[in-house]
Amino acid sequence: MSGWRGVITSVILLAMLAGVTATMQIRASSDAEDGGSGAEALPDGSSVIHEKPSAVSSNTLVQPETFPVTVRKPSGPPRVATNLKDIHGEAVTVACSTCHSTRSPNLQNKTPHSLDEFHSGMKFTHGTVSCLSCHNAADYDSLQLADGHRVEFTDVMTLCGQCHGPQMKDYEHGVHGGLNGYWDLSRGPQQKNNCVDCHNPHTPQFPKMQPTFKPKDRFLEQSRSEH
Amino acid sequence: MPANARKKRNVAALKHAVRSYPGFLWWGLGQATNGGLGFYVWMTVLTAIALVGANAWAHQVAQGMIVTNMTDHVSWGLYIANFTFGVGLAAGGVMMVIPAYLYDDEEMHKVVIIGEAVAIAAIVMCTLSVLVDLGRPDRFWHLLPVIGRINWPVSMLTWDVIVLNGYLVINLHIVGYLLYMRYLGRKPNPKWYVPFVFLSIIWAISIHTVTAFLYCGLGGRPFWNTALLAPRFLASAFVSGPAFIILVMRILRITTGFAAPPKPARTLIQIIRVAMTINLVMLASELFTLFYTGGAHGESAKYLFFGSHGHYGLVPWIWTAIACNLIGTGLFFMPDALERSNTRIAACILCIVGIWIEKGMGLIIPGFIPSTLHEIVEYTPSLTEWKVTAGIWAFGFLLLTVLLKLITTVFAAEAHKTEIA
Amino acid sequence: MTTDNASPQEPHDGEHLKPLLPILDQHSTRRTLLKTAGAALGLAAFGEALSPLMVIPENVSVDEFLQQHYKELTDEDKKKVFARLEAETKERFGANVTITDAKPIPGVRFAYAINVSKCNGNGKCMEACNKENNHHRGVDQSYIRVLEMTKGSMDMEHGSTTYDHTVPQDDKFYLPVQCQQCDNPPCVSACPIEATWKEDDGIVVVDYNWCIGCRYCEAACPYHARRFNWELPEIPAEEVNPNQGYLSNRIRPQGAMEKCHFCLHRTREGRAPACQEACPTGARVFGDLNDPDSAINYVLKNKRVFVLKEELGTKPSFFYFFD
Ligand code: SF4
Ligand code: SF4
Repeated sequence: MSGWRGVITSVILLAMLAGVTATMQIRASSDAEDGGSGAEALPDGSSVIHEKPSAVSSNTLVQPETFPVTVRKPSGPPRVATNLKDIHGEAVTVACSTCHSTRSPNLQNKTPHSLDEFHSGMKFTHGTVSCLSCHNAADYDSLQLADGHRVEFTDVMTLCGQCHGPQMKDYEHGVHGGLNGYWDLSRGPQQKNNCVDCHNPHTPQFPKMQPTFKPKDRFLEQSRSEH
Repeated sequence: MPANARKKRNVAALKHAVRSYPGFLWWGLGQATNGGLGFYVWMTVLTAIALVGANAWAHQVAQGMIVTNMTDHVSWGLYIANFTFGVGLAAGGVMMVIPAYLYDDEEMHKVVIIGEAVAIAAIVMCTLSVLVDLGRPDRFWHLLPVIGRINWPVSMLTWDVIVLNGYLVINLHIVGYLLYMRYLGRKPNPKWYVPFVFLSIIWAISIHTVTAFLYCGLGGRPFWNTALLAPRFLASAFVSGPAFIILVMRILRITTGFAAPPKPARTLIQIIRVAMTINLVMLASELFTLFYTGGAHGESAKYLFFGSHGHYGLVPWIWTAIACNLIGTGLFFMPDALERSNTRIAACILCIVGIWIEKGMGLIIPGFIPSTLHEIVEYTPSLTEWKVTAGIWAFGFLLLTVLLKLITTVFAAEAHKTEIA
Repeated sequence: MTTDNASPQEPHDGEHLKPLLPILDQHSTRRTLLKTAGAALGLAAFGEALSPLMVIPENVSVDEFLQQHYKELTDEDKKKVFARLEAETKERFGANVTITDAKPIPGVRFAYAINVSKCNGNGKCMEACNKENNHHRGVDQSYIRVLEMTKGSMDMEHGSTTYDHTVPQDDKFYLPVQCQQCDNPPCVSACPIEATWKEDDGIVVVDYNWCIGCRYCEAACPYHARRFNWELPEIPAEEVNPNQGYLSNRIRPQGAMEKCHFCLHRTREGRAPACQEACPTGARVFGDLNDPDSAINYVLKNKRVFVLKEELGTKPSFFYFFD
């Protein structure tokens, strides 16, 4: 009597144990599969990189069979507001050179603080560089590099990149500045911002924002007052 | 007797059984719906509550789970809490089979069948609790083997579905067979039920273990992620199950005069004493780890016992549970509890309430608070949830009443027969 | 088997015994009648109680009820299913939409990275997600939650998602959390019916027409990434994004689970996910892990990268890094 009871009990226990072990094995093997489907080993033995029409990285600007990455450019030299209105009531703006071509640069002025006629009160928080570190005294409708070479406003990124190498490198690899369009350039083009889209060169820190969109969870009211 | 002849006999007996088992069920239905005024009032009230619950659930299905107070933060609530308690009840109901069969305690056998009936009703309640928790009950068939697509054996939930249904079938078989044999006036053939009784003992442990694994297998929920969960579940099942059976037997004795000998109840009390002590010891060691170590693991416990960040929703619940459990345990240890006393009844009620809270509001809900991103969103069941839950309990009681009615009638008939003999 | 001979020896069977049983229901036909009436009444009341369910035949067509799991649908089936869903969307939301079924690009494995130094918690990603993915407008649902964290601690305990002031605050940093597309996803193991699974390109998807809404996956996910449709989402017709994927941004049915799918209807066509395009700080980097020259691999090689709750072994495909 007690003999076969014992047998039944142990058989059932064993079966349960086997079930658990099976579960664990299945989990383990699915783990292994996950690990195997990495970059190198596709099931058919071919390599991923060859399969794709082109091995694309975001910094490759133009390559055969790929769509272009377009970097938005500033429209050109900035126009300065004059506080005047024309006969149509439109604000009158002038090019930098309108004034600066008739005045010689004052090399003593390093920051807007010392300016008293124009640009006074301008906020400037761009480190210790002075106006003429970037603005071109020879032609105020353009900029200049550290070595004195002229550079157009539209190519401002070359100028920024002189000092901000790490950011530039990130940017070239697609991890700075965001993007629009396609991550896969074999399928479509990509658009990217340039430095001054996000950073005002005079106050380069990214501006503060006000969040406009918050989830309205049920019962959130309770917890909103806390924390 | 030649083996051949015996085989023939067995086959004949089987044939007979197949022919008249439906007859037995029909007869049982007639018995189960007979009774005095009190019985009819009781059944009507239960039916009414069950109907309210059914109606609330229908609204919930039509309008969406939005009528519950569950959120993406606390995504399980009263239903699953109730489910967890029900599994304990079901498991506990059968646990007492162990002394009856393992130690050949003959007197326990009468009690065993009540335990099985409790188990059946509890399992049905569990299934219903899960069903009402589903967002898409119309897709229930996706869970069925073959026509559905069950993620077995990886998903613990599939295990739970399987063991719960298996458990239901086993217990239906045992109760059905034993009653049927008594109805026929034959001695039950142990071959036909003893193996199943053993199966159901193991199964009872497994349903509760698997249900604990449902929760403690989730690494993202530190409050549940403890190896002690399954043992604690078992220990508390050994309390709530027998305690519930004692209550049921008391009610039966008052209403129908169906009296079990006093010894089994004493055995049950002994079981409860040990189990409850173990349960409390495990709770204490759990609390020690949670609070002494602190850190993220203790956050839910902190919220549960003392509140955190200005939220105290569960604090009254858990202290009520602790008080109930401690007082209940204390009462169980009084000598009075071994007699047919009110102390015993009070102790049973206190422990059942205590464990219901501890398993539900004290375990399922705080697992979600704070959320995995450490947000604190509180939860109190909505009216719909209470209605549906009450409906499920009412249905469970309805079922239990019918089963007990059947059991007492058959036993009474047998007693009658022995008297005549 | 000694007990065997005890039972079958009894000569009598049920017929003989029956009279011995006190069969109470024989003596009164009135009682039987009353019982029948009671049962009928009970059934009627039950029917009445469940009557709110009558809306279901309207909302759930037979085809929908019988619809098979996504992986079992043939192209022919899919065509029919998509057509039905498009018609339903037209009927319920008044919008003309196209539902497609973008497949993983062979050899591509997606990953995402967020620059914690850059993210300023403005929440434009959440807004973009809400629009792109046809989220419930009533609760401004999105798959992303941005945590405002206190500098000096990586403990989410000190985080908040409900901040409402100009950002970034000086003593805070910001941690957007969405589905981490785990390589060892607990949500997938949890699901009892394979309604959620991991695709070849690493995206964990949900078949919204197969999910039974048990929410076990929501309990299992350590990143609060899953969202349940507590009710039918409401979206004004003119705001419905008509470019929809079956496994991604089609309008979800009530009672089903959903989650971030890396905008697979876009990304599998080579386009950037909506949250990345919307991010004004450029904190979001998305790409193919299998391409050694991709932006995402540049991040993994050159930045200090971490993942959330690494100790849980979920192996996220979602990274965070500092400049
Ligand atoms: S983050 Fe959550 S939902 Fe996403 S794959 Fe991991 S476990 Fe699943
Ligand atoms: S809610 Fe849906 S996806 Fe999640 S576990 Fe349940 S059936 Fe699976």
